[in-house]
Amino acid sequence: MLNARAAGVLLCALILMVLAGCAGTPHISKPEQLGIARQTNLDDVPFFGQRDYQCGPAALAMVLNDSGVNADVDALIPQLFLPNRQGSVQPEMLATTRRQGRIPFVLDNDIESLIETLDAGHPVVVMQNLSLPIAPLWHYAVAIGYDLDDDTMRLHTGFTPSQDMALSTFDATWARSDRWAMVALPPGEIPPGISAKGALTAISDADRVQGAEALLKSWEALVQRWPGLAMGWFGLGNARYSSGDRAGAADAFRFATLHDPTLAAAWLNLGLTLHGLDQAQEARKALEQAADLPGKWQETAQDKLDTLFSEETP
Amino acid sequence: MMNKIARVISPLLIAFLVLGSLPAVASVPATSASDLVTTQDALSASQVAADRERINDLLAREDVQQQLLLQGVQPEEVKARVAALSDQEVSQMADQLDEMPAGASVIGALFAVFVILLVTDILGLTNVYPFTR
Repeated sequence: MLNARAAGVLLCALILMVLAGCAGTPHISKPEQLGIARQTNLDDVPFFGQRDYQCGPAALAMVLNDSGVNADVDALIPQLFLPNRQGSVQPEMLATTRRQGRIPFVLDNDIESLIETLDAGHPVVVMQNLSLPIAPLWHYAVAIGYDLDDDTMRLHTGFTPSQDMALSTFDATWARSDRWAMVALPPGEIPPGISAKGALTAISDADRVQGAEALLKSWEALVQRWPGLAMGWFGLGNARYSSGDRAGAADAFRFATLHDPTLAAAWLNLGLTLHGLDQAQEARKALEQAADLPGKWQETAQDKLDTLFSEETP
Repeated sequence: MMNKIARVISPLLIAFLVLGSLPAVASVPATSASDLVTTQDALSASQVAADRERINDLLAREDVQQQLLLQGVQPEEVKARVAALSDQEVSQMADQLDEMPAGASVIGALFAVFVILLVTDILGLTNVYPFTR
């Protein structure tokens, strides 16, 4: 009887381990290939101990303060804590960062992106499930360093500053959140461990909350890093337009159409901007391009052509 | 219990709030040379007209505001919190806030899984109990 029970528990444990996958040390390319140091420690990132359940506000306070925002845990709690859930959800971690005047970038979900970003000097908020999927213990911590010789990750976590955790254990707990990681950076900075699409989404979402003018530097940084990204030029055009630089906006919209001639919204904005600059002929050409492209802007473009150029003869 | 009340009340509240805010949507100016396509509208992958999209988003935002209230968030904070979310985050939260992981770090594991977690902790698969380190 007792033996049977013991065997049962053991079996359960084995099944769970198989389900959870093996905790091997994650594969990381050679530091020389990635162009990073073998170890990095950002020990001067300020540490805020969490209260009962408030690892979200605490983790956010650490990265915000590191990026120069003077935010304390008590001020952040009402902005992102869900009292009945006793926790904080990921979208609100991003939203709160935007309210604090910083841009939240969700990194690509792999360990190399995290390490490259740490190497660049940015502390990273990571979400872990410290337990197993059947009884999850979701937790936010701040990664502040790594050591590829000892295979450890250094975290400000819970009540403990600068704790070293085996890289394999860290990756096992982190993998359960699909390796979710975010940084909070001031306008004009973009972390290394992110795709063009990820950076574009991050900047555009912050732009909606903080206004295009506030994000002007970020759009400039985006097209500098990915000069072929048409939507980057498009966003820069809108940001320049909002800050009063109409000619600069027209240039940026034109670059957007050069990199992606099928981007109807860019032709449309180019046409409207040129019209405002009294370049009627050029404006009309751009609007005609927009009206020729099928999609949701076709109708708007045709309307603009009709209203802005109705009195002129072709 | 709370959820049941919520299921009944939220559709009503949503309806009222939407009706209240419709004039604002309807009055979006239609023509002027300067109304450029916003970056967010241009990025949105959907092919529905921008006005339709805006109404859908508005509905989702009202929905999330109600859900936050039910989660115990202070009423004066709710609006600002939802305003800082992107459209995509709003629709995500409207659809699945209940299933979303909420980072909390409570030692709340049941005793039944205590032994299993102890074993997995020692194996380095989990990190529930500080004393295993």
